[in-house]
Amino acid sequence: MTPDLDVHLSGIRAGDAQAFAAWLVAAEPTLRRGLRSFARQVDVEAVLQEAFLRTWEVAPRFQPDGKANGLVRLTQTIARNLAISEVRRHAREVAVDPEILAAGQDAQLRYEPEPPDPLLRETIQGCREKLPPQPGRVLSARLEAGGAVADATLAERLSLRKDTFLRNLSRARKLLLECLQRAGVDLAKGLA
Amino acid sequence: MTPDEELPLIEEVAGAFRPRDPRTLASHPAWHDLSPSGREAAYELSVRMRRLEAALDPQGQSATVKAVLARIARS
Repeated sequence: MTPDLDVHLSGIRAGDAQAFAAWLVAAEPTLRRGLRSFARQVDVEAVLQEAFLRTWEVAPRFQPDGKANGLVRLTQTIARNLAISEVRRHAREVAVDPEILAAGQDAQLRYEPEPPDPLLRETIQGCREKLPPQPGRVLSARLEAGGAVADATLAERLSLRKDTFLRNLSRARKLLLECLQRAGVDLAKGLA
Repeated sequence: MTPDEELPLIEEVAGAFRPRDPRTLASHPAWHDLSPSGREAAYELSVRMRRLEAALDPQGQSATVKAVLARIARS
């Protein structure tokens, strides 16, 4: 059964960032998946973050329609409109497929609630500890930055060239995913 | 650009960091340099990375969630 994420709505409307955080954790995977068809045309990460920020701004004035997941549906519309806007802005650079403009509206909102899994976290930590020193340091720097620091800055802090930083990150990620697969963990499972 | 040359760009775009620009949508500069298939690869990698980040965080917050919350806290 799909949970109704509007349980967080009263807190979000009151400006409670923790309520918004709980809503973001649950809503992000579905909303990202809904933008998959735009991946060749727009920077989905940028669209998604901007849609979340706009949702936070308009949430105090949001009037639910009585159906479940009203705020997710609102964010989905914001994200889709942003994506279409970007596609049109770049229309001179890439061919625009009308089907892409019609996509991205996932009428069947699906959530796979993923409560914190201590065993999975332990498995990932175990794989991280097996990484060679340099890729391990680079991956840690990226994870600890929490999306707030540019890779060029992270590289500089580790006295690395950005290209070297990114190639080590790639190596770390491949080794980590291979280790997780050997442990029976597939991070892409259920995301198709 | 060869696939090997594109690899660092894919890694960079798959991250959650995005520059701030109040005038326009803040796409990552490296995203514009990617081929269409590179952009798709970056998207697919971002899905896995966000899941990894969320799994490692005690509150289940991915780097995207943290980046958004940080921006809200600053505003």
